Amino acid sequence: MSNNQLSASATSEPAIDKRKWLKPSILAGIVVLIALLPMIHGSNYIMHIFILTFIYIIAAVSLRTITISGQFPLAHAAFMGIGAYLAGMASKWLGWPSWLTIPSAAIVTAGIGMLIGYPFARLRALYYAMGSLFFGIGVIYIVYAGGIWSGGYAGLTAIGPLFPLGTSKIYYYYFFIGLTVVCLLALYRFEFCRIGTTLKAIAQSHLVASSVGINEGWYRILAVGVGCFFAGLAGASYAHYNMVLSPASFGFMATLWLVMYVLIGGIDSFAGPIIGTAILVLLPEFSRDLKVYSPFLSAVLLLIVVFLMPQGLVGLPRLIRSWYSERKKGKKIAHVSGN
Amino acid sequence: MELGVATVTNLLILSSMYILVAMGFAFLFNMLGILNLAHGAIYMLGGYIGLALISAMGINQWAALAITAVIIGAFGVFLERFCFRPFVGDFNRVIMVCVAVAVILQTGVNILVGTQILSLPPFVAGIFRAGPVSVSYERIVTFAIGAVLLGTIVWFVNGTKWGQQMQAISQDMQGASLQGINVSRVSALASFIGCALAAIAGCLIGAYLGLGPYMGDFMLVKILMLVFLAGIGSVSGIFIAGLVLGALDSVLPLLVSGAASDAVAVAIVVVLLLIRPQGFFGHEA
Repeated sequence: MSNNQLSASATSEPAIDKRKWLKPSILAGIVVLIALLPMIHGSNYIMHIFILTFIYIIAAVSLRTITISGQFPLAHAAFMGIGAYLAGMASKWLGWPSWLTIPSAAIVTAGIGMLIGYPFARLRALYYAMGSLFFGIGVIYIVYAGGIWSGGYAGLTAIGPLFPLGTSKIYYYYFFIGLTVVCLLALYRFEFCRIGTTLKAIAQSHLVASSVGINEGWYRILAVGVGCFFAGLAGASYAHYNMVLSPASFGFMATLWLVMYVLIGGIDSFAGPIIGTAILVLLPEFSRDLKVYSPFLSAVLLLIVVFLMPQGLVGLPRLIRSWYSERKKGKKIAHVSGN
Repeated sequence: MELGVATVTNLLILSSMYILVAMGFAFLFNMLGILNLAHGAIYMLGGYIGLALISAMGINQWAALAITAVIIGAFGVFLERFCFRPFVGDFNRVIMVCVAVAVILQTGVNILVGTQILSLPPFVAGIFRAGPVSVSYERIVTFAIGAVLLGTIVWFVNGTKWGQQMQAISQDMQGASLQGINVSRVSALASFIGCALAAIAGCLIGAYLGLGPYMGDFMLVKILMLVFLAGIGSVSGIFIAGLVLGALDSVLPLLVSGAASDAVAVAIVVVLLLIRPQGFFGHEA
């Protein structure tokens, strides 16, 4: 297994100056539409689903930030869990307010990620994936073993709310929109700044990268640190939103589903995890009528993407365009030969 | 004494079952480089099909065991042909397919049977007594079947032409096909054997510990640990790694209580992997 198979081969196209403002304005429009949603259809349930989607979008995009450095961690839900449990325990046992717990949990998560990343930088490709997977499972067992401090099997309850004044869903909704936008902008900036480009160089060939003087190990650890910071942030704010934590939501399957969110959208582009998460989280929720059958829907969607869209869902427009032009060309040829 | 005997039998049974399931996983992984994350779900499905054959259709237990192995083996051939072979070398799409298959199997079992813990009837009843030592025949038979199967597999891999061809493919796929080895046929055979072994282990564990729709996740983690500790391309390494894991799982709960013992076991595995990142017995540097 070479490194390239695991890594995201990053393609960045130069922006076209003429339509410089088109993309940002479309994105801003989407954000405004989402922000206006509670006024159109203000049920708590819809807002709850969207908040969950926002949290998973932050986690999935931060997972992709680690993969652009050529590492494929299978412990991201566990890092979310570290952030969530740190924030929850600080809130419950120390009585810290949420504006203190969330940033400190995120920073400590990033620190743990970097400490773990240091020995793990030895492992390559699949072995890195497996090492991080075992680490993630270990984290869950530690939570189980934590007894009363971490809630153990029963879960951690009675975490303080995000806002001391009101617990209305609408506050949370706008808070999470803001948080998601800020995190996505930061991660986007990170990916396309000099560090992000360096990470992509390492992913393509770590030998060439280190031969031109890039400190490969340090950059790989840095990527893990940044990814874990945002995973911890997502987890910590989830803890204060949900106010109850269960270890099972950060286990092996949760990690695999996060990876699925990234892969189904398309690991090569920044928009991929966002689209993938939105579809895979929202789809089962809006097909509630199917009840127990709804996992089938996700699985079938995965199979469709695997068999028909090698680029992920992001590649769908390009696929349709090429298919359409092929058809047109075919028609033209038929027309010409018919005459 | 009582405790010691129980620990040793536990160790042997757990090790033999881990090795049995991991062997099938390692076949496909060594030959085609496919990380079959659905292997746990296949193992679970084996247990449930065995249960359905025994309790719903009233087939003799030993016959049911054989039929289950054949059914799941055929399913393995199907998986290899339509889900794995098109994506050889594409890690991302392989794990997507595997997760989809695992989710479909787990949800299907969940809907058809439910999440309650079921159990296969024991294959043999009674307790073996020799002085102060008493072991149930169930445990002895479980271990014996595992040991016999593993012995057969080792003979198959090392002593037959098919096994030699499998080893050749796992060393170098292109080189093997240049020598006239039919890679796709051999990998279909490997998938058949691997899934059949997982199914037998599922039935045996189903009689020994019970069945649940999500028991595959636990086993999947164990076999991943086992295969990566052993290293890619090693059969004898799997045996040693399996014994180590079985020992950790049966001895540690005596020393450390509850979930902490699992945490310690995982920590030991991670440290071992860090000491030797390419596995302990593999041929790949």
